[in-house]
Formats: sequence, C-alpha cells, structure tokens
Amino acid sequence: MRPGVRIAIDKIFTVVAGASVVCLCLVLVAVLGPMLLRGGSAVAFKGTVEFRKMQLVLFGQGDEDKIAAESRQAEIARAKIYSTIEKFKGGIDSEALTEKAKQIYRQFGNDLGQTNMSAEDVAELRSVTRNIRDRLESAFASSNTAEVNESLAYVLNFKDDPRIKNTSAAGLIGLAEQYSKDIHGINLAERQRYYQELRQVEDTLIELLGPAPGSATPALMMNRFGATRWDLAQKLLGRLLWYEEWIKQGPGQPMVRRLTPRSQRFAGTELEGLFAYIQQNLPEMLKPRPTFYWQYFIDDSTPGHYFGGVGPEILGTLLLTIIAMLFVVPFGVISAAYLVECASDNFVMRIIRMSINTLAGVPSIVFGLFGLAFFVMFFLPMFGAPSKGCILAASMTLAVLTLPVMIRASEEAIRAVPQTYKEASLALGASRFRTFIKVTLPAALPGILTGVILSLSRVAGETAPVLFTGAVALGPVPKSIFDPTRTLSYGSYDMAVGDKLAAMVPHNQFGMVITLVLLILCLNTVAIVLRSRVFKKLAGH
Amino acid sequence: MLESSAIKAKQGTLLDTLAPAADSHRPLVLTPTEDIRGFLTLHLGRTALFLVTCTSVLAVFLIFLFVIREALPFLAKFSIKEFLTSTAWYPEAVTPKFGTLALLVGSGYVTIVSIIFAVPVGILAAVFLSDIVSMRIRNIIKPIIEILAAIPSVAYGFFAVMVLAPWMQQKFGFSTGTNALNASLVLAVMALPTIISVSEDSISAVGRELREASYGCGATRMETIFNVVIPAAHSGIIAGIVLGMMRAIGETMVVWMASGNAAQIPSPWWDLSQSVRTLTATIAGDMGETEKGSPHYRALFAAGLLLLVITLCLNMVSEYFLIRAKRAGGKR
Amino acid sequence: MATMRLLQSARGEHSQTVGQKRCEPIMKDNMRDKSDQNGQTAQCACPIISSKDFNFYYGTTMGVKNITMNINPCSVTAIIGPSGCGKSTFLRSINRMNDLIPGVRAEGKLIVDGQDIYDKRVNLVNLRQQVGMVFQKPNPFPKSIFDNVAYGPRLQGITKRTALDEIIEKSLKASALWEEVKDNLRKSALALSGGQQQRLCIARALATKPRVLLMDEPCSALDPLATGKIEDLISQLKDSYTIVIVTHNMQQAARVSEMTAFFCLGELIEYDVTSKIFENPSNKKTEDYITGRFG
Repeated sequence: MRPGVRIAIDKIFTVVAGASVVCLCLVLVAVLGPMLLRGGSAVAFKGTVEFRKMQLVLFGQGDEDKIAAESRQAEIARAKIYSTIEKFKGGIDSEALTEKAKQIYRQFGNDLGQTNMSAEDVAELRSVTRNIRDRLESAFASSNTAEVNESLAYVLNFKDDPRIKNTSAAGLIGLAEQYSKDIHGINLAERQRYYQELRQVEDTLIELLGPAPGSATPALMMNRFGATRWDLAQKLLGRLLWYEEWIKQGPGQPMVRRLTPRSQRFAGTELEGLFAYIQQNLPEMLKPRPTFYWQYFIDDSTPGHYFGGVGPEILGTLLLTIIAMLFVVPFGVISAAYLVECASDNFVMRIIRMSINTLAGVPSIVFGLFGLAFFVMFFLPMFGAPSKGCILAASMTLAVLTLPVMIRASEEAIRAVPQTYKEASLALGASRFRTFIKVTLPAALPGILTGVILSLSRVAGETAPVLFTGAVALGPVPKSIFDPTRTLSYGSYDMAVGDKLAAMVPHNQFGMVITLVLLILCLNTVAIVLRSRVFKKLAGH
Repeated sequence: MLESSAIKAKQGTLLDTLAPAADSHRPLVLTPTEDIRGFLTLHLGRTALFLVTCTSVLAVFLIFLFVIREALPFLAKFSIKEFLTSTAWYPEAVTPKFGTLALLVGSGYVTIVSIIFAVPVGILAAVFLSDIVSMRIRNIIKPIIEILAAIPSVAYGFFAVMVLAPWMQQKFGFSTGTNALNASLVLAVMALPTIISVSEDSISAVGRELREASYGCGATRMETIFNVVIPAAHSGIIAGIVLGMMRAIGETMVVWMASGNAAQIPSPWWDLSQSVRTLTATIAGDMGETEKGSPHYRALFAAGLLLLVITLCLNMVSEYFLIRAKRAGGKR
Repeated sequence: MATMRLLQSARGEHSQTVGQKRCEPIMKDNMRDKSDQNGQTAQCACPIISSKDFNFYYGTTMGVKNITMNINPCSVTAIIGPSGCGKSTFLRSINRMNDLIPGVRAEGKLIVDGQDIYDKRVNLVNLRQQVGMVFQKPNPFPKSIFDNVAYGPRLQGITKRTALDEIIEKSLKASALWEEVKDNLRKSALALSGGQQQRLCIARALATKPRVLLMDEPCSALDPLATGKIEDLISQLKDSYTIVIVTHNMQQAARVSEMTAFFCLGELIEYDVTSKIFENPSNKKTEDYITGRFG
C-alpha cells in the first residue's frame, strides 16, 4: 500500500478510537442525564398549596396558619367552578332529578295515608300523581325537545289543581318548572354526552384540585389532595382543556388521536367559559411556589410512594451496608495481613487464593440463594431467631459477597508499604507483630480505607443478594436487625416495574434511583480522591 | 575553632548520658520462659490468623454445600437430561416441567450479543487510552470509566426499562421495548469497564521496546498496535473479555427488568427484538412466589447450581489467561 | 610490637577472653590515649564483635566465607571492597537483618558482646536494640520527627513524656540535627531533606542506646555537604559507640575509620589499621583495589 494511504488509515483509526471513548462519555450522559433531571425534580420543583397541605397532614411539616390562609384564598378562587358545575348539573343530571321525583311521590304517598280521605279518593290521587311522576321521568330521560316540552306541559297543567296544589306533590310541579327553565338553551340530544363528559371533567377536577368541597373524604390518602406539583397540574389541565378521541382510519391502519377543546364540546352552555376561567386562574387556585423538598431524604412515604420521600429506604440501605462492613472489615484485613506477612507459597496457600478468586466470581443471585438456604433457613434458626428474611441475614450475605473485594484491596494496600519501613522497624528491635501494628498498618490505612469505601459502594448497590434475604418493597421501618427492611436498590426495581401507581409519580421513581446512584458515586469519589492522595504520599517517599 | 571544640565537649557529655548503660536488663539470651512464651505466641498467633484467613475457603465450601443440598432432591427426582435440553419451563403446571434450555439460550444469547457490542468498543478504547492520548487526558477519562463501573446494576436496569425501552419502541416500532436487544446493549455497557481496564493494563504492560522496534521499521501507529502490541497482549485481552462475559452472564437485575421475560428461543434466531428470559431472571423472578421446599423451589436451586458451574468455568478460563499474560509480561 | 599485637588481635587470637569480661564503655577513657599515637588500640583486648570462620549462604549461593575478624569497642571499622563482595551481607549478619530473606543459612561463630548471636536462644529484640543500624537510603517512618525518634524508646517501655522528651533531645543533639528541627518536632519526617533524614535515622538508632552502630553505605544517597556532616558525626560518635561502616568510597574509609577490612568475592582479604591498608597493604589484591586497578 502506498504510504499516503497507510497514513490516512492511521488517522482514521485514531479518530475511530477517539470516537469509541466519546461514545462511552455519551452513554454515561445518556444513562445519568434523565435520572438526574427527572429525579432531581423530586427534590426541587414547583409545589402547590395541595403539596403544603399534604405535608402538614401527613408529616406535620409547615406553618399551619400560613397554609390555612392560602387554602382559603384558593377556595375563593375555586368557588366559581363548583357553582357553575352545580348549576349545569341541575339541568342535565336526569338521574338525580328522577330520584327526587320518586322521593316526592313517596312522601306524597305517606301523606295521603295520614289524611282521612276515602280509599277511592286515595287511589285516584295516587294514580294521578303517578302519572305526573311518570311523565316527569320521561321528560327527564328523553332527549327529544318536543317530547320533553309535551310532557312538561302535561305536568304543568296540574299546577293549579286543588288536589295537588298544597300538598307535597306540588314538589313535582316545582321540579317541572325548574327543569323547563334549566333546559332552556341546552341541546337535549347532547345531554347524555354532556353527562359523560362532565363526569370526565369532574374526575379530572378532583385530581387537580382535590375532593370538591362538601363531598365525603376519600378512603385512599392519595385521593385526598389535589395536584401537589405544578408540572402534574399542567398535565391535568391539559386533560381538562382538551377532549381526546381516537378515530379509526381504515382497515389495518393505526388509530389517530384527535383533540378538541372542551369549551367547544360544551359550546352554548354555562360550562363554555369555565375552561378559559380555569386556565387563567389556575395559579390562584393552586398557588405554586418553587419548593426545595430536602425532607425527601428523611420522610416516609405513603404506600406506593405516591406522596413522601425515601427516608426508610436510605435508612435500610445504610443499615445493611454498615452492618455488612462490621463483619467484613476485620476478616478482610486480617486475612490480607496473613497473606502478606506469613504466607508461604505452598499448597494450602494456593487453595486459599483459589477460594478468594472463586468467591469473587460467584454471581450475585447465587449469593442470594446461598443467603436464603444458609443464613435464613439454617443459621438463624440455630440461634433461635425466626427463619425469615431480615437485616442480619442480608448483611451477612452481603459481607460474604464483598469479602474478596476487601481482601484484595487490603492486600494491595499492605504490599504497597515500602519494605524499608519494615526493615527500619525491625532494626530498632521491634518484633514482627509490633512492626505490623505500629508501622505497616498505619501506613497501609489509607489504602485499606479506600478498599472499605469501594466495598461500601458495591454493597449499597447490590439487589440480587438481598431479594430473598431481607429486602421488602413495602413495610414498616425496621425495629431490630431481625426485621426485614426496604432498601434503595430493591425500591428502585419495584418503582420501575411495579404497578401503575408508580408510573403516576415518575419523579419518585427517578428520585429513588438517583438517590442510590448519587450515594454510590459520592462514596466512589471519596475513594478516588483518597487513593490519589495515598499514591502521592507513598510515591513521595 | 574554640567553638567547635566547645560543641564537641558538649556533645561529649551528652553522649555520656546517651551511652549504653549496664546491659544486665537487656540480656542477649532468652530465658527459658521467654523462649517458650515467644514460641507459643508466635505459633498461636499464626494459627489464629490462619483460621481467620480460612473463612474464605469455608465460605466457598458452604456455598457449594448449601446450594447442592437444596438442589439435590430435585436432581435426584427429575431427569437431568430433560433439565438441560427441554425448552418447556412450566413449573406451576399440573405436571410441572423444568426444562431450562430456553433459559440457557436466553442467557447465552444476551451475553454473546453484548460481548459482540462491547469488545470492539472496549479494545479501541483501551488502545486509545494506552497509546494515543497523553497521561493527563488518560487521568481524566479513567474516572469516567470508573463511574460507569460503579453505577449499580439496578440503576442500569431502571435506565433500560424506563428510558431505553420506550425510546426503542418509538424509534424502531418494536412490539415491545423490553427485548434481547435492550438487555444486550445495557449488558454491553456494564461489561465495558471490565474489558477496558484489564485490556488496558495488559496493553500498557507490553514494553516500549516492542513498540519502538515496530516504529523503527516504519510502521504507522495503527499498524504497530494491531500487528505487534495487541498480539503481544492477547492473553490479557482475552482474560478481560472472559471477565466481561462473566459479568454479563451473572447479571440479574438488568435482564430481569429489560429482557421481557418470555421463556422462548427467538425465531428467527437473529431477531433481537423478541423477548427472552435468562437463567438469572428466572431465579430472581420465581423465587418470591415459590413455596419453600417445593419442587419449583428446588428446581430454582438447581438452576442456580448450573449458573454457578458455568461462571466458575469461565473464571478458571480467565485465570488461565491472566497467568499466561503475567508470564508473558515477565519474560520481557 | 604494637602492630604485631594489633595483627594478632585482628586475627582473633585473643578470642578466649571474649565472653569472660564485658567491656565497659568507661573504656573510652582508655581509648582517648590512642589519639596520641597512630591508631594504637592495644589497651583493649576484648573485642565487642568477633567472628570465627563465619560463612553465610543465600540458599545455595555463598554470601561470605571464612570471615574471621575482631572488632574492638569504641572504634570505627570500615569495610571496603568491590560490588557484590559480601560487605553488606556481613554487616547485616551482625544484627541478623538477613533473617528477613527466606532461605538463608549461617555457619561458624559470630559473637557479639560475648554471645554467639546465631545461637537458637538469642533474644533478637534485645540484640537489635543493642546493635543499631543505619541504612543506605534514609528511611524515616511516615510519622513526625518526634514519633520517629521515640519509636525505639517506646518499644523499650518508656512512655512517660518527660523521659521521652529528654531522650529525643539528646539523640537529636548527638546526631547534630537538634538545632534544625527543635522548633517543630511534630513536622513530618518526610518533609526533611535527604541529609537531614539520614541524620534523623541516626538519631533514631541512637535513641535505643545501642552499643554498636552498623552503617550500610550511609552517605551514598547524599550530596557532599551532607556527607561531610555525617562524617563529622561519625568522628564524634566513635568515642562512645562501636561503629562499623560499609562504604564503597575509599577516601571516606580513610577519613573516618581506624581499622579497615577489605572484602573481595565473599572473603576477608585483609584487615588492618587504616593507614597501613591504604599506604602499605600486605595483600596484592588489596593493593590492586586501592590503586584502582579493579573495583
């Protein structure tokens, strides 16, 4: 090949190799970026008055007076919505009206029983009123304006009938009058549609602003408050303002989404202007404010993580890692000390080294199986503890998992201590044990500490070993090490593939996983900084 | 002159008091009690340390013991041949079937595809770091790789199912975003740091003399790297690849979340957009709902044993190549 | 006459008196006499270090062979010779530092202060406290200056602050480092210059109150100014300590020592008064080395 071509290929190669590294950086950004952005909004976001109310009720945080004042202001702004809807409902809620008519008829029937009219008169009155009621019901149910007016006219004829006028049956007449007023201007054919879409609007309003004033408190905590975050409120507003339908295109073709403004859907009714009103005044109704929810890392959460933070998960992860370290560090450092100071290259040593390498290669799920079979089912019952998953079993499983990491890091740190220190110490008359304790170990300590931190970060992120040995997705804060616990790692898994509830709060999903990732990255950064300092210190000698 | 003699005199008196005293309290011979005591402490101490060090051996022994103990009743009752060669995994059916072939193929499939993605990128990156850039840039890039290695597997799984799957579904129009391709890509990212660091170590360990000889003959950098350096470092690179494979095949969370969990062999075999199920995901997924002591439970332990054996074989292979690499490096 | 007796004592013919009487350091009063004459040490007839047919092996490789020499107390003895001739091996045998290397073996007698130190019952800890060592490359611990010098005394059980302060001040003064570091004893020892570090190592070794100070090429890693200071130090220390110094620098040996031993290929070729070795050596090999024909 001509040299020019070879040089060109070489340059291309350099670029390609550089591209691979750039690719790695891009992958890092792609993985961490969305997590940081969306998880970050779990802590820093625009919170509404609903959020502050929720924090007060569930976690006792916040200024009660201020929140009460804000709530009142919000309610004033919202009042118009509810009154408009009530009015509109009056005209179209045929079920309620029918129910009312039936009630009046029953009441009238009771009243009749109280009077002392003859049986024939009672029966006649009854049938007349029944007719009125039936005609009224058909008027409520019908969508044909002509039919409705005819029925109403029939009922209204009885307005001045002396048999009905001063009795409770007059209520039926009153209903007819009211109804004819209410339906003025409403396209009755649309009434069914109005009813359905009004239900949609009402449901969305409940999600947006919380339960309507005067209605019963919902059973589920998550339904008791409106949109706690401004971004969620915006999403709900979109659902409120736009009516979505899927149109069939043709055979074998995907359906197409069509959006119509709801004001259009309710054109001509009182509700038409409501939507613009809501859109304009939403800030006044929800009072959004930039919120820094640092208590995210401390607060417990409602089931499913709809509200609240990841406090118990962080606690669980910390407990597991620290207890595992308590087991692993002594065993690891002592093993490393033996391997460096006392080991000779014989058969037993080779078995030990092979075992350490084997341990390092066992997959994490097999550690989970081992933890289940040995620690949970065999070891714990030996000491009288119940054989169920708990913090102790999970910690011990994690300790075995991380033992080879600890041994290798400690060994490296102890070997890195220059031989000259050992010689100088021995030449001064120190025994080998004292030399190790007073000279080698202190000099190796930063390196060992680096190993501890790296092990910590590995243990914090492990999920598979704790799946069957101590982690749960839902449960109370553990009271002792014989209880299971929630962890950041298992919680992240649960939030990602769990039920639909989790999908409603993406900020909590991403918030949990980014908390875990940030915790681990912090630990790793500390380890890297420590390692470079150790390197400089020992290299300076 | 006078000064120095004065200093000397002063030092002289100082040296008096520093001078060794009567050394009766520092005899050069050990008394018998001292001798025995020293002997005992030395040997007892050594034994104690030895026992602590043996916990690693004990741990490995216990792992094998207990996994085999739980798996044995299953292996005794059901045919091992069917276990390994049947694709029917229906553990909760009326007549349960425990065939792991589909699961093994699933594991192998995602592992091999992830290695196919990871090896070129990994070796190129390793070469880039060791030969092409200066030390300073290398020290900036290395932490990035360490961060990639430090991210926990559940976070990668989260990324796979929450970010990558919807994007894949949208972009490529797959029926589902959680499939073999998704899992393989993320596994490749997880295996990359291992491959890069081990390969880079062994490429750097190839001495300058070899490179200088090649440059001296007029070769370009790329030719030197591919014709001289990489062949010289091949043992270490292979070891790195095998370690990456170990990481991929033993990985649980990513495949559990991102592979779709359909126990099937993709047909056609090259269709990466189909869902698969791996051995690890099966163990993790089924165990929570299984009654302790039931055949299903024991079958899962048998699957775990199978996984253990496979990863240990890979471990031995990587050890072999690492030893070869060290030996080759020592010869230089 | 005196020379004859000197040679006799050098060849260990008075070894019978070894072990019967311990030399007191008050001997130094007697030693001062020698400065009048040219290296006459005839007063003392009890060497503090004495070897007889001493062999040392690293596995199957021989380190030194048939070393028979006596070293008198309160003197400076230099060991010279070409690279690999066993000087360091022999030096490190005196305080049994060679034990750190696996597979070593010693034969013959090596007697320090009346005790064969290769005897199985030897108290190594005490031996090394009494036979201090200064290494080729300064190796202070990564601790403070104070902790470095206090290391030895603390091993001996001295923990009271006042006692430690006293010993440390004296050791640092004795190694001519006190004036330079007295303001900040808490400073890290690694922050000192090379020459200062070596003097610190000497102070550290002196703090255990040894009787013998072994120095393995102490100045080879230092610049000439620092070397000069260390040589002055050696001249002052010799009044109280027995110093054995291995050096490849013949001029240094000529400057500081009273007796010089010439090793070659693991054997002791000649051991005599320094002036004689350098002006009028008996052995041809010695002469060749001195004059630079090899080495």
